[in-house]
Amino acid sequence: MKTMLRLSVNGKPREDAVAENALLIDYLRDALALTGTKQGCDGGECGACTVLVDGQPRLACSTLAHSVAGREVETVESLSQEGNISRLQRSFHENLGAQCGFCTPGMIMAAEALLRVNPKPDRDQIRAALAGNLCRCTGYVKIVDSVEAACGREHAL
Amino acid sequence: MNAPDRKVKLTPTTKSDRGVGARMPLVDGIEKVTGTARYTADLPANGALVGKILRSTYAHAELLEVDISEALKVPGVRAVVTGSDCDVPYGVIPIAQNEFPLARGRIRYIGEPVAAVAAVDEATANLALSRIRLRVRELPAYFKATDARVADAVLLHENKAGNIERAVHNEFGDTAAGFAAADLIREESYECAEVHHAMMEPNAAIASYDPERGHLTLWSVTQVPYYVHLTVAQCLKMEAAHIRVIKPFVGGGFGHRVEPLNFEVIVSLLARAARGTVRLLMTREEAFLTHRGRPETQIRIKLGLKRDGRMTACEAEVVQRGGAYGGYGLVTILYSGALLNGLYDLPAVKYDGYRVYSNTPPCGAMRGHGTVNIRFAFESLLDTMAAELGIDPIAIRRKNLLQAPTETINGLKVMSYGLGDCLDWVERASGWKERKGKLGRQGNIGKGLGMACSHFVSGSAKPVHFTGQPHATIALRLDFDGGITILTGAADIGQGSSTIITQIVTEVLGVDHRRLRLIANDSAITPKDNGSYSSRVTFMVGNAAADAAQNLKTLLVAAAARRLKVTEAEVEWYGEGAAIAADPDQQVAFEDIAEEALVGVGMLTVNGTFTCPIEFQGGKQRGGAVGSTMGFSYAAQAIEVSVDLDLGKIAIDKVWCAIDCGFAINPMSVEGQVQGAIWMGMGQAMSEETVYENGRHKAVNFMDYGVPTIIDSPDIEVHIVESMDPNGPFGAKEASEGPLSGFMSALAAAVEEATGHRFRMLPITPEKIFAVRQEQLAAAANEVTSQ
Amino acid sequence: MNALPEFHYLRPATAADAVRMHAASPASHYIAGGTDLMPNLRRGLVTIGAAIDLGGVKELGEIVEQGNTLRIGSGVSLAQIAAHPVVQARLPAVAQAALGVAGPTHRAAATLGGNLCLDTRCNYYNQSEAWRAGNNYCMKRDGEGCRVAKKSKRCYAAFSGDVAPALIALGAEVEILGTEGVRRQPLLELYRDDGMKWLTLAPGELLVAVQVSLDDAWVSAYEKVRMRGAIDFPLAGVAVALRREKGVLTGLRIACTGVASQPIAIDGLDAVLGRPLDAAALATISEQADLANRSMKTTLVDALYRRGVSLVLAKRLTQRLWDAAV
Repeated sequence: MKTMLRLSVNGKPREDAVAENALLIDYLRDALALTGTKQGCDGGECGACTVLVDGQPRLACSTLAHSVAGREVETVESLSQEGNISRLQRSFHENLGAQCGFCTPGMIMAAEALLRVNPKPDRDQIRAALAGNLCRCTGYVKIVDSVEAACGREHAL
Repeated sequence: MNAPDRKVKLTPTTKSDRGVGARMPLVDGIEKVTGTARYTADLPANGALVGKILRSTYAHAELLEVDISEALKVPGVRAVVTGSDCDVPYGVIPIAQNEFPLARGRIRYIGEPVAAVAAVDEATANLALSRIRLRVRELPAYFKATDARVADAVLLHENKAGNIERAVHNEFGDTAAGFAAADLIREESYECAEVHHAMMEPNAAIASYDPERGHLTLWSVTQVPYYVHLTVAQCLKMEAAHIRVIKPFVGGGFGHRVEPLNFEVIVSLLARAARGTVRLLMTREEAFLTHRGRPETQIRIKLGLKRDGRMTACEAEVVQRGGAYGGYGLVTILYSGALLNGLYDLPAVKYDGYRVYSNTPPCGAMRGHGTVNIRFAFESLLDTMAAELGIDPIAIRRKNLLQAPTETINGLKVMSYGLGDCLDWVERASGWKERKGKLGRQGNIGKGLGMACSHFVSGSAKPVHFTGQPHATIALRLDFDGGITILTGAADIGQGSSTIITQIVTEVLGVDHRRLRLIANDSAITPKDNGSYSSRVTFMVGNAAADAAQNLKTLLVAAAARRLKVTEAEVEWYGEGAAIAADPDQQVAFEDIAEEALVGVGMLTVNGTFTCPIEFQGGKQRGGAVGSTMGFSYAAQAIEVSVDLDLGKIAIDKVWCAIDCGFAINPMSVEGQVQGAIWMGMGQAMSEETVYENGRHKAVNFMDYGVPTIIDSPDIEVHIVESMDPNGPFGAKEASEGPLSGFMSALAAAVEEATGHRFRMLPITPEKIFAVRQEQLAAAANEVTSQ
Repeated sequence: MNALPEFHYLRPATAADAVRMHAASPASHYIAGGTDLMPNLRRGLVTIGAAIDLGGVKELGEIVEQGNTLRIGSGVSLAQIAAHPVVQARLPAVAQAALGVAGPTHRAAATLGGNLCLDTRCNYYNQSEAWRAGNNYCMKRDGEGCRVAKKSKRCYAAFSGDVAPALIALGAEVEILGTEGVRRQPLLELYRDDGMKWLTLAPGELLVAVQVSLDDAWVSAYEKVRMRGAIDFPLAGVAVALRREKGVLTGLRIACTGVASQPIAIDGLDAVLGRPLDAAALATISEQADLANRSMKTTLVDALYRRGVSLVLAKRLTQRLWDAAV
């Protein structure tokens, strides 16, 4: 059964009739057409669906849409503001942090959560923060490089 | 007109920062980092029916009946298809097509599609699937190659005696003489578990059938839209001209998607039956069941060496458990033998290969196709024998280097060869001389260094389909706006082929890169391409792109000459314009050149092609064409490990890899490809394996199938060696597959130094190390007791 | 593409409301972070009439220091626990265990209560509906018999929560709210060795909080073995709490996870007390840990390995704590 869900998505208040059993990922992708959030596994194993809920990274595939009522949800689409891509997005782009790009939105959102609490993480801290996000293309090296570069650190490779 | 001011003074083109050699970000990178890139599951599909596949729960059975009558009665069901809806077999290799998109008469593995449903929503589709009844007669099933090969085994395919899909026997050079001349001969056995691609994007396809026109449009996750196109036409008995295949963004492939896959035909069958649009989104589990990965492999290998380390002969027997259908299998078993050559100066090789059918999901091509497991065995044995001879692992490899240009005993041409330089760098960077064998133990941590070499083709010189067409075709389109559109069928699946092509065109034309757009993979628009497999795109499509750009440039120079009222020879090409060479102030801007070029002819479409000359397509002797390519990439790598000897856990501390990719068209991209390849090798070496119990795959998710996490993944330092291949575009060769296959033996060597035990079985898991340590400790205790 | 079975969504504001809601609809299920329950729901491992979301119950989300006791609400996230200064400083085993769960994104959502009540795991159980149907299910869900031990009358699915052994080693107690009110019991008694009914909670009872004493005479540590450095559940996890006074071992508690259908506390350790930790004591610890271990082939990794490394961890952590606690 559908009931009303009020929340904020990417800075805008929303009010939608959403099925009680709907997952956050399906609400974002199907109802709001925010397809940047990806599904790479059958639940909770790959991190491709990582979004922010009140600034904390969350797996949209393992979260009921109604459980984030009243909260602020941010997807990868929120990072580009007024025509400008974010420093993390730019850094992933310029440092080849994305190859096929499928894990990238989740990876960037997990990194975004990290940088908000730790603006100058070292490589180990970056690895720890991205530990729930699988990538199959990069071997992760340039992902760590990208996050490092985004916060102005030299590559310590 | 709002045209920009064209009076800007042009200067002779300086080297573009977006041409070849530039560390250029991906041309489609912004879409990827902003989340606007649309993968198949992201495409708008309002009103599309939901497709679902019913998969076999039997490993081997006669399929007597598929009763769909109850499924058809479920309200909201629009189509149900079964094996009786398609009686045309398919398969990527024209001579080995023995797979039906939906099982007919026989089921050969758990997970094989048996029926499919299109319904108004997912719940309805699931309900309909649950109403389908199968009547079967179970048959003996074989899950190991040895079991499938026993004398009285039931045949999976009636025309393949002994369940052997393909036996390969060949000998190049004189192995008997080689072994006779050897000072040391050793023979060992190796075993590699089956591994899977695990590309991050799950499989997905959308098919839209227009019943009025009889047209079908298919969007799919393929690496080779061309094969999919042909296969759908064949299986649906449609004119290829009535089909359009589009590849959206694709989230990796690694070989999973180089074959036309059953779901691509199934979704098409459903769309036609339902007379509408069907979207088929598959689970991660279904990707594991569709499989096409690297087969479980047993290898017996024998090598002869002179006292100084020179190789004299090699003999290998390889058995691959190929799964239930042919797929790419015969290429895998052929490559394993042929590509024993091409890395070192190996004077004689005897090879016996057996590709065996089994009741498991079909294997196929996976990154490093055919070379990976045999390279693990060869490099491992070489290490062991080097130790016996008292020769350093790097030194013994230096002893056996090729001298380019040359031709191997099986007729493979080696035109450029930077392996020596790769070894030099890896030796220096890893501190090999000072540190190998001297790392010692730190408490319960054993340390070790290991190294290995590897190589891979830059595209198969023999295409899968013989058509008489060039190996690669690309088109450049120029119209009134002065924009140049690159039209290519090369499938960018994340490896960056669109970027490489764009850099090449930028380089040749010298234009501002923003003048270029690239459109790929829409069969209604873009030229056919043989696809993204065997690392062919940079080499072949790259050459075609350079050719196309050169052809366009010729037309543009002629147009410039007309505008400048001089001969073509007098024109100095500036990229964004041209000038009279003798009088550089006399200039014409690109827009004006384009305008002139279109006079009388309208829009220009210029082709560029590339064809592998026949002399590169392999020797005439039996087996000679296998593995033929115009250029091999070469890689050497060293790995440093720390092993927790009590827990058996390996930590990879660092990897150094040098890659001879001929010339790095995009060094950043080369680094990324090398890092990804090495890392994928690491997964196979340490934690990844498919696990079947009575044919049922037990590791069909990312918990049980151990794709390494970022925590497990080391920094990988890449050094590029540029051997400038004479035939590659600007000297370039492949970079993304060769480095993979060195990892396993390098790891085995490093672990041997750390633990005192050489593993000859992949993956080298903690439980295996732990078991060996228990034996070592027990043996040591016995020794103490007996003293 | 993730159609879940129909259920109602309820969001109580207080723990008492949650318990009342459950009593009113017995087929309901508490949900907190959802990192365990949601994948299980997607696979058809759980059927629920209603999801009672505890996310809005503020009283469950607090960590309070009460004298010499730390009371951690069951709704506190694992990330918060791992980062909490008192937990880090005085209950390091708990901080390490919380930090060791899955990945950071899971830990931001996953709660203490969810980890303590984590469903038991088995390779034959944690599979899709289609997979299990093809394998004729098993007694834990929808079927009969055990796929791990063919003749077994019981289910061997393994308890795989990381935090429980750490808290058990530290002697934690749990507060449980039911319709009759609050009761307290040692955490260890929350469990029983049955893969199907691994919790002793009565239907509808809600785990409200954990209380653990802050006794600085005890030092503690937790370590787990898993295939990869993140995401994976423990193949074996061991927590050790130890008291060293005047060169003598005066207290030792060891608890394990991943090696039975419940977290286990290792018995028979009193024998090593009253003297310094030496090789003989470590041998005794290893023997007792071995006796307590009930690893079965519930994972793709061999049970012998899980057994073996749990002994290694027990000895290693004990030695490390002993050496550090001078």
